[in-house]
Amino acid sequence: MPEIGTVRIRIPSRIRRGDVVRVRCLVIHPMEIVQRDKAGKPIEKNYHFINKVIMTYNAREVLQAETTQSMSENPFFSFAFKATEAGMLKITFLDTHGGKYEGTAEIKFS
Amino acid sequence: MRGHFRKAVLLAAVLTAACAQTERPSTTGRPPTPWVSHAIPEAKGEVKILPDGKKVHVRYKGWTTEDFSQFRTYAYDDMRPAPPVSKAPMPPVTGDPKAGRKLFLARAKGPCTGCHLIPGDDVWPAGNVGPDLSTYGDRKLPDEYVFTQVYDSRKFFPNTTMPPWGTAGILTPEEIVHIVAFLQTLKGPVAPEKDPNRNPDTRAKPVGFGDNLDPTNNPAVVLAEGAMSLWSKKGPTGKACADCHGGGPEKSMKGVATRYPRYVTAFQRVMSIEDFLTVHAPATTGLGMLAQSDDNLHMTVLIKMQSNGMPVSVDVSSPEARAAFERGRASYFKKVGQRSHACADCHTKGAGQGAEKFLGGRLLGDAETGFTKHFPLWRTSQAAVWDMRRRMQWCMTPLGMNMLPADAVEYAELELFLTAFDNGQPMSVPGIRH
Repeated sequence: MPEIGTVRIRIPSRIRRGDVVRVRCLVIHPMEIVQRDKAGKPIEKNYHFINKVIMTYNAREVLQAETTQSMSENPFFSFAFKATEAGMLKITFLDTHGGKYEGTAEIKFS
Repeated sequence: MRGHFRKAVLLAAVLTAACAQTERPSTTGRPPTPWVSHAIPEAKGEVKILPDGKKVHVRYKGWTTEDFSQFRTYAYDDMRPAPPVSKAPMPPVTGDPKAGRKLFLARAKGPCTGCHLIPGDDVWPAGNVGPDLSTYGDRKLPDEYVFTQVYDSRKFFPNTTMPPWGTAGILTPEEIVHIVAFLQTLKGPVAPEKDPNRNPDTRAKPVGFGDNLDPTNNPAVVLAEGAMSLWSKKGPTGKACADCHGGGPEKSMKGVATRYPRYVTAFQRVMSIEDFLTVHAPATTGLGMLAQSDDNLHMTVLIKMQSNGMPVSVDVSSPEARAAFERGRASYFKKVGQRSHACADCHTKGAGQGAEKFLGGRLLGDAETGFTKHFPLWRTSQAAVWDMRRRMQWCMTPLGMNMLPADAVEYAELELFLTAFDNGQPMSVPGIRH
């Protein structure tokens, strides 16, 4: 079983300079949902879920998102950016228990 | 004269006994001794007695624990006959259509709306396995007839797919009287439909979840790739899968899964990949790989992925496989559980049969199109990898029936029967379904 935080990124197989690239990524994470007691009151605790997603390209931040428990288990993200130079795409996921999970994909022009 | 008659009777008795002998299902290809399950505790289908004396059936987390021991199952040693057709007199109570409608919709009972459409925006989602009852009252059928039809429909239609609600004890005679009173109020004309999705005949069919082999779309692909670490993990014997199966799974397992389930001579039974791993892994690497454990499921997906795109080609011609296939077919048509359903009721096409119709909001599959080529799959509604066995165990739970162990021979042979329909079709594992 892959550990929590396995990141998979998928980019188009052929990219030309200046293309708008659609990036798809999936991270294995339980994304713990809020629990309620018998009276229906939410239980106070530090729930384990991803609360920040940062995407950088050649160390420049392209996108930052704050996420909540409303997202599904093993969440899937998709976004687009314009690739004007070749380089390394990095997506970082941060969770409420201090976990930091990273995935990278290399963008080369054909 | 009398002596001749006696002889004739004796001969007839001997002949009948002989015929009964030959009609018993063949045991060719069945393990000589009862199979000992190698499944995780939740998947063993065991009955446990709680300290307070209550019997519960151990199932997966979140599933019901109700014990249905009194109803027959697929187990080959379960020789109980189907519950006999019965009829009850209509109790002398006045039917209340309002109470009847409530019972008709009650999820804890039928719900009748799972198969039958009636008018009303609160009827959601209705199915169309059974006839549309929107104007049933216009048929002017006698109450007594409708009562018996609900109580035990087999009285009129011996091959019906409708459960015998009264005989099975799911609905009491009084409750059926209320339902009858309600059905008699259903008179046309029916108001035009506002939402095409309410009526199962016009409802849009589900379109699926996109590319099932895309790791960013199907988490099961990522989980299976994680099993690569297991592939090279050394067990207590100092050996790993990789030590005997050279070249990695992509080379050594290519095309292997297309032949499963198959009759494995060493274990004298039909086995799927999952079943085989439960005994093969401990025997070689020393690592446990219990049926329905994550390790077993993910390894199975990893192995099956190596055959993706290749046609399924299970053997059903060897004597053992043929006999197993026939037993699987018999299971497929065997009426089981509290509701007296067979697999065929829901997964075979035809009038009053369920295939490609809606059971509530769920579209039922047609077994003849092939069920197994995308198993194990990712279930988006459960957020988990399910193999064919867990799917079968789940199917059987709402039918009011105890499940067999996940690695039971009965399931393996039923799976073989189902997989034979997939023969020639390309494998695509892991699938992705709701």
